[in-house]
Amino acid sequence: MHTASWHSVGMTLDECIKCNVCTTYCPVAAVTDKFPGPKYVGPQAQRFRESGQLKSPDISVDYCSACRVCNEVCPSGVKIAEINARAKAQIVAERGIPLRNWFFGRNEQLGRIGSIAPHLANLGFHNPVSRYLAEKIMGVARHAPIPRWSTQGSFRKWFFSTPRLKSDKKIVYFHGCSTNYYEPCVGKAAVAVLEHLGYEVIVPPQNCCGLPMLNNGEFPAAEKLYRSNLEKLVPYADKGYPIVGTSVSCVLVLREEASEMLDLENAATRSLRAALWDLSEWLRDLLERGELDTNFRELKMVLPYHVSCQARAHRMGRPSLDVMTLIPGLDVREGNAKCCGLAGTYGYKVEKYEIAMKVGEEAFRFVRAQGDDVKFTTSDSEICRWQLEHGTHKDCRAPVEILAAAYGLYDLDKRRLL
Amino acid sequence: MIDLIIIGAGLAGLFAAYTAARAGQRVKIVAKGLGATHWHAGTIDVLGYYPTAAAPVTRPLDALRDLTRAQPPHPYALLDGALNDALENFLALMQELGLPYAGAANAGDNLWLPSPVGAARPTFLAPRAQLAGDLQRAEPMLIVGLQGLRDFYPHLIAENLTKQGHPARAALLPLDLITERRDSNTAQLAAALDEPARRAKLGAALKNIVQPGERIGLPAIVGLEAHRDAFDELQAQVGAPLFEIPTLPPSVPGVRLTNALRNRLRQLGVRIEINADVMGFHAEGDRVVWIESDASGRPLKHRAEKFLLATGGILGGGINSDHTGKVWETVFDLPLVTPPNRGQWFRARFFDPAGHPIFRAGVAVNREFQPIDARGARVFANVWAAGNLLAHSDSILERSLEGVALATACAASRAACHPKP
Amino acid sequence: MKRIETDILVMGGGATGTGIAWDAALRGLRVVLVEKRDLTHGTTGRYHGLLHSGGRYAVKDPPSAAECIAENRILRRTHAHCIEDTGGFFVVTPEDDNDYPDQFYAACQRLGIPCEEISVAAALKREPLMNPQARRVFVVPDGAADSFQATHSTAQAAQRAGATILTYHEVKQLLVEGGEGNRRVVGARVRDVARGEDVEIRAAMTINATGAWAGVVAQTAGVRVDVIPGKGTMLAVNHRIINTVLNRCKMPDDGDIIVPIHTVSVLGTTDERVQDPENLTIEPWEVELLLREGEKLIPGVSRARFVRAWAGVRPLYQEHYNGASRDATRDLTLLDHQTRDGVAGFLTIIGGKWTTFRLMAQVTMDKACEYLNNCKPCLTATTPVPGVEQGHYWLGHRLREVEEHHLQNELVCECELVTRAMLENAARNNPTLTLDDLRRDVRLGMGPCQGGFCTYRAVGILHQLKDEGRRTNDEGEVWEVAAMQSPAHNLASLSAPSSTLVFGLPSSVLLRDFLQERWKGLLPILWGRQLKQERLDELIYLALMNADHLPDQNVSSPMSDFYSRPGVSTTADQPPATDGGGAR
Repeated sequence: MHTASWHSVGMTLDECIKCNVCTTYCPVAAVTDKFPGPKYVGPQAQRFRESGQLKSPDISVDYCSACRVCNEVCPSGVKIAEINARAKAQIVAERGIPLRNWFFGRNEQLGRIGSIAPHLANLGFHNPVSRYLAEKIMGVARHAPIPRWSTQGSFRKWFFSTPRLKSDKKIVYFHGCSTNYYEPCVGKAAVAVLEHLGYEVIVPPQNCCGLPMLNNGEFPAAEKLYRSNLEKLVPYADKGYPIVGTSVSCVLVLREEASEMLDLENAATRSLRAALWDLSEWLRDLLERGELDTNFRELKMVLPYHVSCQARAHRMGRPSLDVMTLIPGLDVREGNAKCCGLAGTYGYKVEKYEIAMKVGEEAFRFVRAQGDDVKFTTSDSEICRWQLEHGTHKDCRAPVEILAAAYGLYDLDKRRLL
Repeated sequence: MIDLIIIGAGLAGLFAAYTAARAGQRVKIVAKGLGATHWHAGTIDVLGYYPTAAAPVTRPLDALRDLTRAQPPHPYALLDGALNDALENFLALMQELGLPYAGAANAGDNLWLPSPVGAARPTFLAPRAQLAGDLQRAEPMLIVGLQGLRDFYPHLIAENLTKQGHPARAALLPLDLITERRDSNTAQLAAALDEPARRAKLGAALKNIVQPGERIGLPAIVGLEAHRDAFDELQAQVGAPLFEIPTLPPSVPGVRLTNALRNRLRQLGVRIEINADVMGFHAEGDRVVWIESDASGRPLKHRAEKFLLATGGILGGGINSDHTGKVWETVFDLPLVTPPNRGQWFRARFFDPAGHPIFRAGVAVNREFQPIDARGARVFANVWAAGNLLAHSDSILERSLEGVALATACAASRAACHPKP
Repeated sequence: MKRIETDILVMGGGATGTGIAWDAALRGLRVVLVEKRDLTHGTTGRYHGLLHSGGRYAVKDPPSAAECIAENRILRRTHAHCIEDTGGFFVVTPEDDNDYPDQFYAACQRLGIPCEEISVAAALKREPLMNPQARRVFVVPDGAADSFQATHSTAQAAQRAGATILTYHEVKQLLVEGGEGNRRVVGARVRDVARGEDVEIRAAMTINATGAWAGVVAQTAGVRVDVIPGKGTMLAVNHRIINTVLNRCKMPDDGDIIVPIHTVSVLGTTDERVQDPENLTIEPWEVELLLREGEKLIPGVSRARFVRAWAGVRPLYQEHYNGASRDATRDLTLLDHQTRDGVAGFLTIIGGKWTTFRLMAQVTMDKACEYLNNCKPCLTATTPVPGVEQGHYWLGHRLREVEEHHLQNELVCECELVTRAMLENAARNNPTLTLDDLRRDVRLGMGPCQGGFCTYRAVGILHQLKDEGRRTNDEGEVWEVAAMQSPAHNLASLSAPSSTLVFGLPSSVLLRDFLQERWKGLLPILWGRQLKQERLDELIYLALMNADHLPDQNVSSPMSDFYSRPGVSTTADQPPATDGGGAR
């Protein structure tokens, strides 16, 4: 893609000293020849790309899962994952987007449609025949862990139909598509925790963060979504309200990825960045200021914690760990697996499912190694939670659910408020 | 509250963290990424050539006496027995971690190990898997490579070794002995050899071609996580001494070393935050209060009582420069010792035995390994520096990269544990 | 001593020399070309790669400009695969003269050079890094030319038509017969550098196309040719920050052009009269000048990552000229020594620019044919060289081919996407003595790591080839030079019809010389990220490989000395004579 400015991610290719550290740690290159490695498809191939070329020269960049482990280990500051994403977008701009990937991008609409009649939708999607057909016709891997629609209604429906705390301390909540349609319990736990801390939670109009579109190279559509969110959220940022999200990948998109990948930077994007927090990050900030209620009940269990690659991509440390380790009796064990493998929409694709499962084996092995009587695992990203459940057959909970339980507000087993 | 933040996760940073954590300090490491340990041989080079690349050193610890006299500001000259302590601690640690290192049969001598191009490279301590390659041993060598592994050329190695009086012959085995993949790097091949079935195939093939009395040199790919078992089993199966030869990056021996150290540090409760690019700091008076690293939203502050800089010099990104000839230290903007102007940075020949003066540039430190300015005054009360960042040593030219890293990390870390007011 | 009889002896293996061999062969003449080192060792291999539209000279030197646009059109047909259709901008920056742009536009119209003014906004859309303060922008059909590929393609075309190309054959002495009043050049005594033997070549017409060395060569026949050697320095940015040639719209001067060529962007150039074309150093002021001037076209460029600096010598010629080389004519000049000096059988072709090499060859051969009473017409304008079927070069082609054919694990030079087979075929089929020659063939070591990884791999592969001996190829496939830069056209490693020079040297010499050659071109621009890169390369070759302690340190190749010359005027072993370093 053409370099738009000296600050574009493509320019960081010049930082690369070809040292091979990224390729050494790339979990996808480790398991398949189809992906030649981040150094090759990132800074190296970038020197052979220009916009307006007769044709995009790329093929194998499609197998980058966007896990960002390459960025993590690079000693030179090359924005490899972003370079790869833009190369994918160039391919889409030239050759168009496969229907399946187009559907992935319309994740929000799919969520909304299914939530009208969730039982029916779940029945329709989650049966072997539909899964088989979806694989054959659409290329959606039949065994990949697609989520179920919540049968208790969407998060927004619950939020706006139940009495909520009013307070001078206000905080905005960005729920994201998966919390709204598939895991409203996570949203409920978040609201419970925030209200417990004395905050009035505001849930403004908001839309999909656009991550599935960004990951699949549909940049113009992703930009529309991003701009729409800016319009909806920045007024709250400008009022000085913090905006928290429980979906660590949505927050990453809204804070950094969208702006970088779309090469879009202005006062609004900066304003949103300054106001937006991952919920654990915000709670840790409260903790550092002595304002977090640390009066937790005991939760006696071993809790393997898979640190989502998207959480690490924030470079914000381990705020979930910092907060969860305050809970008495809780033996949180941090895993070092690079990626659960599902990586957004990657592992749902039939040609990538096996790769995703091989990549995730490191995480599954880690969970297994913590013992058979482990009941729950935890991870910040919904994608990781679904993949971990798929690979380990152990229930996975979001850190905010653990916290809500430790505050005595939430039932971890049944996943509902007490 | 963290007692000590170490900036840099190379050998110096990791070893400094280990030293401090063992002394009871609460330690955290922040690093931009992973570096030189992944590019070098996985050995501990203490001193290979001194004073220029024309003068090989046979006994490094003896040579250190001359060095200390001749170059008082050299990092080795500032140590107070720390080199010996560091090496001993390192050996003990690696023994514990199941990745034992050792020196030459004649204690105190340098080892001379075959390099990937067939030269004899001096090093002081090597992982056990490389030891049988010591060229001071007499057995003839069979150097074995894999067809399609583009980072290892056994015939070239054998020819150059033979020219130097070390008899060697070469053989190539098919890559599909150990992997179905066509495209892999050495780390991926090493992971493949973690599996016993693949090892057995390789072992059978080696057994087939080795002749009695020979020792076999392989690229350093004999196992990654299961290296110890992999190596021992393979050697037992083949019935001849094996030795690994390091390859172009990624360095599998280096990755094994880093993984082992990081695991131990995790057990000691040291948090290692990779992907934390330090871009600012705040000091009050002459004390650094916090550093901050780049993050997706707001920069992340890291507070501690003390800070130890192990950012690796030009190679590690701890020192940067630009077209105007400006050279600067990238975290605290510490004063640097550098050549007087850009015209003096380099010599005309890449392989000049005297090396290139810019690579001796770095942070000058006092005997407590605290950075000092041109007048010799300490810059910060609570900052220490170690490793390749330090001035007055070109540790690539000298072949002293790991020796300087370990010794100065040990010394700086100890000094940080007992800071002088 | 070996003796060769031929019709035409061409001295000089650059664009002009190979063009002459091609022209002569197409006219049915026997022709032998000798080049003292590798093809394009001279100026042809050291320029920025501009295919002139003529816009640059439209005002200052209209005849040159007219030649350029005519040849531009021809080369796009005859050497299509060596040319990238980048287009060019002439940019009026705030510093530039107000009258000139209109003069420029009018002159282009007069000369038939396609020239269209576009809005600055449209220009910025195409080139976002261009100076946003630009006042006006004109579009012309400049292009980027790969002179290595072009020269090799021309040479192979000439060989196919019967020519003999002898590289590493250095002219020692022109052979002159006859006495006062009827002297005649009858050929040359030439040294086969690789084998250390002399060869005598006798020809009806001897043509001096040695460029910057033309005076030195002519001197051996007692003929005086005062070449004005105008050294030009260029710097390469690590990647394509622009995709269109950017020119300043003003009278030609130093540092007023940036050319996108292959994977880099080249800032050029300076013009400094020098004494010795063999011994070129790059001064700090030249680098500063290029960065400063470059900032006017692309603000921020001085902070970019530079991977290389090099200098070439323009072989300028202007009868009775004593001024600055910047202002000397760029016109091509054919010296008929019979009429000029009373020495028959001898022509010198000099001046000109790469874009007009074919024309220079034509002019030369037309004159030669007059003397030989062989008046077959010149066919080069309408005879494409092999390779044109590939179409114009596009930046992504190597990547595309590697991707389509799954050649990732075959990569030897990863930065420039050079596969093992490309390297082997070039080594076997194209006489090469050093890795630098292979670099010119396939771009080995020309990317950001400047040989950090590929030097080792290349040395290992060549060593293996040497041991394997000559491989026979039953299918009778012949290696096409035109395909030497294409991964897809080198899927198999083909046999060698001739012996390969490079096998004559020990691996340690190949390695040492190439690393030294890369170092030479790095010194002038070694700071920041590239300095970090070099430190990694040092870690690899010193600490890891201990390559400076390999055996054969005392062995050298004919090129070792050339690479050892510093290439910069001050280093730590030669501090400046006066304080503060070189100053203009």
